[in-house]
Amino acid sequence: MVFLLDWLTTAAMLFIVTAGLMMIFGVMKIVNFAHGALLTLGGYASFVVTQLRLDPWLSWPLALLAGVVVGCVVEAVIVRPLYKRPLDAILATWGLGIVIGQLIVIAFGRGVQFVDAPLQGTWSIAGLPYSAYRLVLIPVALGLCALLTGLLNGTRFGVKTRAVIMNEELARGLGIHSGRIRFVTFALGAGIGTLAGALITPLSSVDPDMGLPWLVGAFMLVMVSGHSMLSLLVTCLVFGACQVLVSTYLSPVLGGLTIAVLAALMLRIRPQGFAHG
Amino acid sequence: MTSLRLIARASAIAAAATLAFQVQAAEPIRIGVPVGLSGANSVVAPAVVQSSQLAVDEINSSGGILGRKVELEIVDDASGAVGAQKAFDTLVFQKKVDAIIAMETSAARNAALPIVARGKVPYIYTSFYEGRSCSPWMLVNGWVPEQQVAPVVDYFAKSKGAKSFFLVGSDYSFGRGMLDFTKKYIEQHGGKVVGEEYLPMDGSDWTAIISKIRAAHPDALISATAGGAPNVSLAKQLKAAGLAQPYGNLAIDEGTAKTMGDVATGMYLSASYLTSIDIPENVRFIDGMKKKFGAELKTPNELSAPQYEAIYLYKAAVEKAGSTDSAKVMKTLGEVSYTGPRGPVQMNKSRHTPLSMRLGQVQGDGSIKILETFANVDPGMQCPSAK
Amino acid sequence: MADVHTATLQTAPAPARQGPAKARGLLLLGLAGIALIAFGPWIFGTYLLNILIKAFFFAIVAVTVDMLWGYTGYLTFGQSAFFGLGAYAAGLVFTHAGFSISTALAALGLAIAGTALVGALVGWLSFYRGASPFFATVISLVLPIVLTQLLLSGGAWTGSSSGLTGYETFDLPLEAWYWIAGTALALVALLGWLIVRSDAGRVLTAIRDNESRCTYLGIRTSQVKIILLSATAVVAGLAGFGYGSFSGVVAPELSGFVLGTEFIIWVALGGRGTLWGPLLGAVLISVVSAYLSSSMPFAWQLVLGCAFVFVIVLLPQGLVPLLLRPLHRSGPGAFEPALIERIARPQTGRPAAAPALVLQGVAKHYGHLKVLQGIDLAAEEGQLVGLIGPNGAGKTTLMRCMSDGAERTAGGVNLCGHDIRTLPPEECVRFGLGRKFQNANIFDTLTVAACLRIAGTILERPSLFTRSPTLALPSYALEVVRTTGLAGKLSAVAKDLSHGEQQALELAMVLALEPKVVLLDEPTAGLTKTERTQIGRILSSLALHHGLCCLLVEHDLDFVQEIATRIVVLHQGLIVMQGSFEEVVHSDLVKTIYAGSAHAAPEAA
Repeated sequence: MVFLLDWLTTAAMLFIVTAGLMMIFGVMKIVNFAHGALLTLGGYASFVVTQLRLDPWLSWPLALLAGVVVGCVVEAVIVRPLYKRPLDAILATWGLGIVIGQLIVIAFGRGVQFVDAPLQGTWSIAGLPYSAYRLVLIPVALGLCALLTGLLNGTRFGVKTRAVIMNEELARGLGIHSGRIRFVTFALGAGIGTLAGALITPLSSVDPDMGLPWLVGAFMLVMVSGHSMLSLLVTCLVFGACQVLVSTYLSPVLGGLTIAVLAALMLRIRPQGFAHG
Repeated sequence: MTSLRLIARASAIAAAATLAFQVQAAEPIRIGVPVGLSGANSVVAPAVVQSSQLAVDEINSSGGILGRKVELEIVDDASGAVGAQKAFDTLVFQKKVDAIIAMETSAARNAALPIVARGKVPYIYTSFYEGRSCSPWMLVNGWVPEQQVAPVVDYFAKSKGAKSFFLVGSDYSFGRGMLDFTKKYIEQHGGKVVGEEYLPMDGSDWTAIISKIRAAHPDALISATAGGAPNVSLAKQLKAAGLAQPYGNLAIDEGTAKTMGDVATGMYLSASYLTSIDIPENVRFIDGMKKKFGAELKTPNELSAPQYEAIYLYKAAVEKAGSTDSAKVMKTLGEVSYTGPRGPVQMNKSRHTPLSMRLGQVQGDGSIKILETFANVDPGMQCPSAK
Repeated sequence: MADVHTATLQTAPAPARQGPAKARGLLLLGLAGIALIAFGPWIFGTYLLNILIKAFFFAIVAVTVDMLWGYTGYLTFGQSAFFGLGAYAAGLVFTHAGFSISTALAALGLAIAGTALVGALVGWLSFYRGASPFFATVISLVLPIVLTQLLLSGGAWTGSSSGLTGYETFDLPLEAWYWIAGTALALVALLGWLIVRSDAGRVLTAIRDNESRCTYLGIRTSQVKIILLSATAVVAGLAGFGYGSFSGVVAPELSGFVLGTEFIIWVALGGRGTLWGPLLGAVLISVVSAYLSSSMPFAWQLVLGCAFVFVIVLLPQGLVPLLLRPLHRSGPGAFEPALIERIARPQTGRPAAAPALVLQGVAKHYGHLKVLQGIDLAAEEGQLVGLIGPNGAGKTTLMRCMSDGAERTAGGVNLCGHDIRTLPPEECVRFGLGRKFQNANIFDTLTVAACLRIAGTILERPSLFTRSPTLALPSYALEVVRTTGLAGKLSAVAKDLSHGEQQALELAMVLALEPKVVLLDEPTAGLTKTERTQIGRILSSLALHHGLCCLLVEHDLDFVQEIATRIVVLHQGLIVMQGSFEEVVHSDLVKTIYAGSAHAAPEAA
């Protein structure tokens, strides 16, 4: 039972962290290596809320806003000139991540900070006390998935975005302003990334490097999972299970490796990942 | 004529000597303080810097050491081996400090020892650690497991009736060293260790280990993690998971406990320094800190108090040796004593010092209630080859 | 003289020919460097010497990163893993087996063998057929992470998070270490420089510019990359070994992802694809960091990060070349080899009666979509077959099936008597195939001479260290080069040629292979009338006088009429007709296919 809960909550965390990266990669084929720094930014947004003694639930919208704003600026200044050079885009966003990280250090210092969790305590599942906040992440992840899938499949914006994903040249030829789509998508993806940072903060601590360990795992998951939010969810479930299994029965150190190694092997064998067909 | 020339020559020599002495007297004594401004130790580092600054201020305002002013050189060691190497290289070879007085992670300390030996600089290690680290150039005034573990285990066994223990740590020399000793101590005293798990030093996802703790149903929990994020995340996740065993944290300090809020409530710790220690030296120390730093004050802790004492010990040693010559100072450092916020400290037991240890429990308001005090606990034979 | 920089700047606008002035500048730089290495211990203090030794070891790795990324186009974060492996080889052996001559040699051997093995493994994993460069970068990312985690989980054996410290190592004074590190760096830089400006080194740039073209010239690009990666892995490992032996401390940070990205940053800032830029960048940044990190740690990192982003976005060629540009003046005299004729190699290993090209039952499906069905085709040497058909008939797909064994879904293809099975293009080319693409498929940043030389790689192995003063081409390739005027433009950069000249260059490159079968995809597209006539004459003479078998896809029916000996008509994936031009053009079937009905132009009525 504990394993089941560990598994589902881990998968939920992975999904939340990766969703933002996925939006950007799916549409723009660019891996936003500043994603780790965005997670950290979200963590610090929560910290600011705690410092101002506001309701902890406010950290979510604040983080989202911060991410969107940063995303807009980054897309215009850094990502746009690098459309034709995807490998260079990885590097530029990584440099950006360093810059954001240093700015955070200058603003908040290098210490580890504390953030109030919106939800404390444990809930009893089948007689077992389990962290309430961890459990809450499961419906949050599902909700996020539903929201994003709805956005992509059910709205005009979503249709245009999917057109750009499939064939940008053609979409442009049909009058879809792909530049604007990219702009909005990047900002949205960045915002979700920051939101994810705020969401995972109550489970660990806030320090300038907190986003980094998630970056590579998220990156690998995105490479493996194909193009839809649903396939990402499935990927997170599968890889989450593997990580929990390895951590629990082998060693937590190797558990941290699982996602990266499995994803690399999978890409070698089946380059299109979990995508259909 | 001759006597005049003699007098002239004599006065010239005297003048030159005085001048030289003046020049020498004008040159400050530099103490290097490599500290974790970034990385795992960044939570406790600010307090260490503050207590160093207080000690130096106090010493300078009462005339310095041998008439010379004392200066601090503070360098970031990133809490790790590679960063410590850089920091120590800078201090020993570029800034050419007279002594290094600092706390370090074990990784950093191990990396630094060869540099200190090559540069022949006295090094006072002010941190608690897992023991058995020896160098002719290092003296330790922090506690070792022989001093710290016993109070916690004994208390759990006697007052809580604990027979089975689960040990959790960070995978590095401190974590492993502490828990190794703890395991031996527990088993020597009739207890049983039902689990021993480690995460890498920067790991903060304890999920899998917590599940194992749950499955093992221990009577008590003891942890020795790296300071900062791992310590905090473990405590948070344990609380969040609803595990309610008595929990002894071998690596927690008062300041961190206070910021953790109610996550830390109920935690047991064993320390040589707590702000609630009621001796006049500690009261004076805390007053001095409050006056100097006011609102910026970082709670003095298990690492900053030994730092303060170490600087005074260095002062005493230099005065006894009559110079900052490294070899002489190393000799006298082992002979002098100082009564500081923790009580009397003298690094004369195998390069380590006997200490008074206090067993405390974190209260709801963040303060630490001292349950028992043990005076003059011997560190044991840490460096058998030292005289 | 040196034209290294014209050839290897990837995105800079065509820089002026930098000839002798550049070489002199480099020489001065080199001499200054050697002087600093020789006299360093008397100029620099202990602290600076310490830093420089470590900086030199890092600079060696930076040079390898530049060879992989700047020259070959493989973005790698993984060189730090090999560095760490070398360092830990030293640390592990000296910690657990003590220090002596034999253990030192063992550790050295372990460093070399370990890194070569891991490098080959990573190469195999990353550079397989059809791998995207993205995937290779991903693998290079995963490598240091995996290695770091393995080191962390090694417990007391690897020292885990603390690493290994205090082990006994070579007892050398600081000055000796400085000379060792400095000399090693100079040697690696010299070696690297010789290789990248050699003829073989050009192949690396060719791979970066256009890997597909390389495979269609018979170059086994995967092999080349794997060998390069293994070699640079060993070099990085040796640098790590030196570092570990010198510093007496090895920690997981030395093999980690962060260090890997630092190398990339140094190379980017220093100037990718210049070799000396990354070298200078690595040394300078390491030294400055050491001094600034204590006084302004946050600000310095911020400055570096901003500079990095700035350089990537706006100045891809890096800072050091930019700063030194005022010292150059443009001059003539880029390196130009002399053209000579190569005697075409005799036709060995081919059964005399076997036709040059045979297709049997070749088919290609995409799921339910049948692009080609049941293609049976044979062509002999000396024939010039024109393949015509409306758009979408499957002509280019057919070409692909003929040149790449993995392309077709069914059927068999025989080239000069060899069954191509599922072999990749580089193997098909070695059977005697040449393929000219529709869009001029050449190496943009290389000169005409370099392109032509690379085209002959599988026939004349290029030297690894020198540049041959002559360029040998078979007679028909020479003819192409001379008649189209390329012979006077040997040192022109391929990107600067006109469309027609680029097409001619590609044709010459394909012919330099001395193929028996040449596939041409719309060779006249975009050519002027004169150029078209030239090409036509050349192609006819290829078939008639030199006995090549040519197959061309064409839309220009007049052109086809002039030169083709036979026409094949393709429609909706099937061969509907084969015959002479006259037969085909007057057939009702063909008219229907093209025009929709059998009613042709008025004169036919």
